[in-house]
Parts: sequence; structure tokens; C-alpha cells
Amino acid sequence: MVLSGWEAVFFWVFGLAALVAGLLTIMARNAVHSALFLISALVSVAALFVLLGAEFIAGVQILVYVGGVMVLFLFVIMLVNVSAEEREEERLFNRTPQVAAAVVFCALLGFGLISVISRAAGQFAPQGEVGLSLEERAAAQRRARAAREAALPPAETGVSKISRDTQSVGASLFRYAGLPFEIASVLLLVAIVGSVLLARTAKQELAADDLDPELLPELARAEPELLTKAEELARQGRGPAAAEEV
Amino acid sequence: MATMMTTTTHGPALTLLLQEEVGGRVLSGIQHPDLSKFLVIGALLFTIGVAGVLVRRNIIVIFMSIELILNAANLNFIAFARHLQDTGNLNAVAGQVFTVFIIVVAAAEAAIGLGIVIALYRNRETIFVDKIDLLKW
Repeated sequence: MVLSGWEAVFFWVFGLAALVAGLLTIMARNAVHSALFLISALVSVAALFVLLGAEFIAGVQILVYVGGVMVLFLFVIMLVNVSAEEREEERLFNRTPQVAAAVVFCALLGFGLISVISRAAGQFAPQGEVGLSLEERAAAQRRARAAREAALPPAETGVSKISRDTQSVGASLFRYAGLPFEIASVLLLVAIVGSVLLARTAKQELAADDLDPELLPELARAEPELLTKAEELARQGRGPAAAEEV
Repeated sequence: MATMMTTTTHGPALTLLLQEEVGGRVLSGIQHPDLSKFLVIGALLFTIGVAGVLVRRNIIVIFMSIELILNAANLNFIAFARHLQDTGNLNAVAGQVFTVFIIVVAAAEAAIGLGIVIALYRNRETIFVDKIDLLKW
């Protein structure tokens, strides 16, 4: 795959935008700013996906990451108190020796990865294109893609062609990855139930009759009338459903 | 034409030739980004994510760095899928299918992880990882 023309321009714009936004994500003092920079990094990566011909994945990336996961992040940032970091009362990073060691490690990691990639870069050319320059490979691939696009069926409007990319992703997903797909749905169910269980307050745990006995004295100190009411209802044999009314 | 002339002389001219060749290669690499450029972007995103996990104290930002790492892996998968499509197999979308699963796992991980953050904050009143040291002795 060799890009050329405007595709190359967009590659550099979005690639550098993703890197800069990623760096700002880990440097920002305010956690909300971090989340917003991460959103721009994810959108830039989605643009790179479009450049690579994976329109469906780019759409999923925007919908799931930006629309779902990042909104979740913003909710949690607003629930917990992160203002100590903002007011510069708390250190942003770990202690200096730890930061120095981490930066050295990451520099080595990045250097190693890039040197391996650049050493292997010449071998990425497909069989028929070995020895050709990048310009020649780009021209050959433009011709091949134009031929492929000419063979596609035209859309009803007549101004564009209907591509089969998303169709082939769906076919491949359900033909070869049916079992992992079902496992993924079970995983999502477990995640829903797990996060609901994890995020309950002690009050809600008491209502579901699922409170850790060790926490009972603490709760009795904090909210005595709540506990006595619940005990009364339990004595009357009305169970957890009634305790929920409390 | 300039490269032709420099080949006839010795010493400094040879280094000039080498520089011109390297410069030309870099220029054509910038004008025609190929698979390796996408892999470099992915590797750098991964490195930034690892740095964020190691350097920051705020557990929410550490989670965001993990999302960055997963996205770097996604970028590599999609780039290799496109590479396989261009080398003949038009239906090579296994990389895209795998990316869908990575996005699913990332969403589940974010939901569970943020649930843990909320439970932790409720019990310990902090989100700084160096203050959450119950298991340390």
C-alpha cells in the first residue's frame, strides 16, 4: 500500500494530529482536558482508518469510543474529585526518578520499534513490486484500484460506486468469527453486571440484602435510622424488596 | 544530472551523492507514505500510551493511556489488513474483524475499570495510584 497526492497530505495531517493529541493527553493537568485530547486522538486515528479503506471500523470507532467510552470517562471524572491536581496541590506525575526511568524506558521502546520497522520496511513490498521505487509502486496501485473501482456496480444516483468493503467485513465476521462474536456478547453482559455491582453504594447494597457484615457498624454510625428501619422490615419478614423502599 | 556529475569525482562529492540520494528517499517517503509509516505512527502512539501509564498518578488518565495503547494496536491491524488487500487478496478483512473485537474488549474494560475507580474513590477518597497501597508492605 502506497499513498500519494492528497491521501499523503491527509496521512501526515491526521498522523501528526494523533501523536500530538496523544502526547497532550498524558501531559494535561486537567483530567477533562485529557479526555478531550484523547477524543481528538481517537478521531484522528479514525481518519487514518478511512484513509486505509476501513470506513466501517472508522464509524465504529467514532460511535463506540467517542460516543460511548469517552462519555463514560467524562461522567467518572465529574463524579470523583480531581480538582486537587488542577489546583496544583497534588503532583501530576510520579516522583522524578520514576519519571526519568519511565522516559528512558519509553525512549528505548520507541527507538527499538522504529528501528525494527525501518529495517523491515523494504520487505513490505509485494512480490511483483520488489525493486520498484515508491513512485512507481504508487502509480501501479492507483491503476489497480481504478480498475477495481470501475468493476463495482454504480449507485442509484449514478454519481458514485457501491463499494463492498463493509459487506465483506460483515460476511467475514459472521462466517469465520461467529463463536468469538457470541463470546464478546457474553463479555459485554458480564461487564454490565459487573460495573453495576461495583458502583453500588452501601445503601444500595443493604437494599439488595448484599452488604458486607463488616461494614454494618460503619453504616449504623453514618445513617442509624436507615439501618433500624431495614432491620424492622426484615423482622417483619418482608425481605429485601421492602428494604428498598427505605 | 547533478548526481551523474558527482559520481565522476572523489571524496566529498561521494558524500554529496549519498546525501542527495538519502534526501530523495526521504522526500519520496514523505510524498508517498507506505505501510511502514502507518506502523511508525502506531508504534509512537503505543510508546506514548506506555509513558502515560508509567508516569501519571491519576488512575483515570492511566485508563486513557491504555485506550491509546489499544488504538495503536488497532491502527496496526487495519494497516496490515489494507496491505494484504493490496497484495492480491481482496477479501482480507481479518484485521478489521479483529479490530471490532478489540473495540468490544476496550469498551468492557473501560466500564469495569471505571466502576472500580468509583468504588475505590468511595472507600479511599483518592484516585492517585501511589496512595492506593493496601497490598504494599
